[in-house]
Amino acid sequence: MGVNPIVILGAVLYFAVIFYIGWYSRKASMDSSDFYVAGRKVGPIVNGSALAATYFSPASFLGLPAFIFILGYPFWWALVGIIGGMPIATLLTAAPLRKYAPTSFTDYYADRYDTKWLRLVAGIPTLIGGLAYVILSIVGTALFLLAILQIPFNLSVILASIVVFAYIYFGGMVATTISTAFQGFAMTVASVLAAGYVIFNFGGLNGLTDAVLANSGNFFNLPYVSETASHPLMATWTGVVGFFFVWHFGFSAMPYTVVRFFTTQDIKAARRSVFWAVTIGGAMYGGLVIIGTGARVLIETLHPLMQTEGITNAMGVLQHMKTAYGVAGASVTDYSMIAAVEGLKSPFLLSVLAAGGLAIAMATASGWTMVLNVLLGRDLLGKVFGSSWPEDKPVQATRVMTILIVFVCMLFAFKPPALVLDISGAAFIVILCSVGPPLILGIWWTRATTTAAITNILVMTTLSCGSWMYAKYKLGSYHWFFLSDPANKISTPHQFYWVFVGFIFFIVVSLMTKPCKDDVIQKYSLDIRPEE
Amino acid sequence: MFKGMPKIFWAGTALMYGWIFFFMILEMTIPGFPLKKFMGVPACYIYNWIIGLWLMNIMISFLYYTFEEKREEQIAARKNRKTQDAPTGVSGK
Repeated sequence: MGVNPIVILGAVLYFAVIFYIGWYSRKASMDSSDFYVAGRKVGPIVNGSALAATYFSPASFLGLPAFIFILGYPFWWALVGIIGGMPIATLLTAAPLRKYAPTSFTDYYADRYDTKWLRLVAGIPTLIGGLAYVILSIVGTALFLLAILQIPFNLSVILASIVVFAYIYFGGMVATTISTAFQGFAMTVASVLAAGYVIFNFGGLNGLTDAVLANSGNFFNLPYVSETASHPLMATWTGVVGFFFVWHFGFSAMPYTVVRFFTTQDIKAARRSVFWAVTIGGAMYGGLVIIGTGARVLIETLHPLMQTEGITNAMGVLQHMKTAYGVAGASVTDYSMIAAVEGLKSPFLLSVLAAGGLAIAMATASGWTMVLNVLLGRDLLGKVFGSSWPEDKPVQATRVMTILIVFVCMLFAFKPPALVLDISGAAFIVILCSVGPPLILGIWWTRATTTAAITNILVMTTLSCGSWMYAKYKLGSYHWFFLSDPANKISTPHQFYWVFVGFIFFIVVSLMTKPCKDDVIQKYSLDIRPEE
Repeated sequence: MFKGMPKIFWAGTALMYGWIFFFMILEMTIPGFPLKKFMGVPACYIYNWIIGLWLMNIMISFLYYTFEEKREEQIAARKNRKTQDAPTGVSGK
């Protein structure tokens, strides 16, 4: 396989549009309100598309098809869970948080629980999850640059870091919102077009299903009704339901999506933007289901490397990519989605897919880097430790933080600790079980207390991170229940149950501790709910 | 807890979870359920891929914002009426 000029042209066109948007909107990013929340001027369609592009990361674009490729049909439910969790955010968090109109993610915790130290405490899981996400976004950008330029993975990681850095360095929230909205459109077109190619290639959905069954007879098997599971992790209901819930509540409580509710014109626009995000994101996910389902059969029947001596199956193709380009860690499986499209032998399709892939990776990297910039600069340095630098010179502060964040994440991206979807799953569970309950119940339950918020964040961050790593160390995978008997393991993807445990724990501790002051509850809980 | 949450929220979540877990249970109790033909294609493309993944969620998010906008209009109209009905303090003489 060599470099294809049409694929390069697609990538060049994509970068031309992105940097034109950055240049066009450069004057709009000069004060702190514009820089952090885009001056609260973004309409529902643009914000909805930006929401979709930010929320869906390379973990979606590369990781979900890779997991369907590995786990089979039961993993389709995980995608249903992700999109199904989006409408819930409309009334649960989007409208109340837009009514409250903060600048940063930790503002709510500091105000609702009446202590600046909650910025620091809530910042811990946010920082862990945020860095994980910037790492996986750099890995995703690097894999697409590898597909376009056919260069070694390490060089791709450096290039990807430079691209992500330049994109955020010159942008801020205005540029990233507008260009991210374009990226939402680009990634959806890429996914839907690729799915259309796959369905057409097999002569329809029946042809695709028959080809998948002929290639992998267990693909559509489910627990309890089939002799062999599609994958050992999907041999019990806990595996299917667990993957459904790993990312399900993310749209309501993950910092990088919650902050996009702050940028809308008003509450009406915040609610409508969720509708557009579901429409755009759902279409993209529909495409990803088809690509993931057809990936193995496409690679094994059509990929150019299958004619190469010694390669007999899809994993062999991926192993070849690992050795030929030095793709590090587990990330080579993430290349399965690109390899499947390479099998269709359409440079045009590959160029659109590469542009869409770059779009989704850069949008997520920028969204998370902005969250971390604001967290480290304005919130921690400024509000907690009293420095005036982030408020006086927001652009300079943000750029310094961007350099630090991208550099640290680049170092990790050289050897990713896990598949991009595994990094994403871990980040989601850590954040959702720790800062999720104080956010959602802070809005909807007057009895939520400061002690419960601090305790829940610290305890759940420790438990979720600890059990996730222990399961990998002791049982070989993050997806087994960490206390399982090694001979009889129970599938609990990413220790998802901590999200539910976190809510129960938060309620119990709240009931045992002193409530917040009445005026604080009135202002940050009762007043931001819908008017009755 | 959740006092003031609009009723449409509970209706939407009941529809979403009801649909999803109903079909998950069917899949785990009826052998080969996803591949049974419905409208000429394996049923999973209809109940999971088209409806569960996309159409149902579009519909729920549409209902959420339209119901809330209508409710807010009704509240605004009620407030307007109260303002008009309130005594102005200006003498009719």
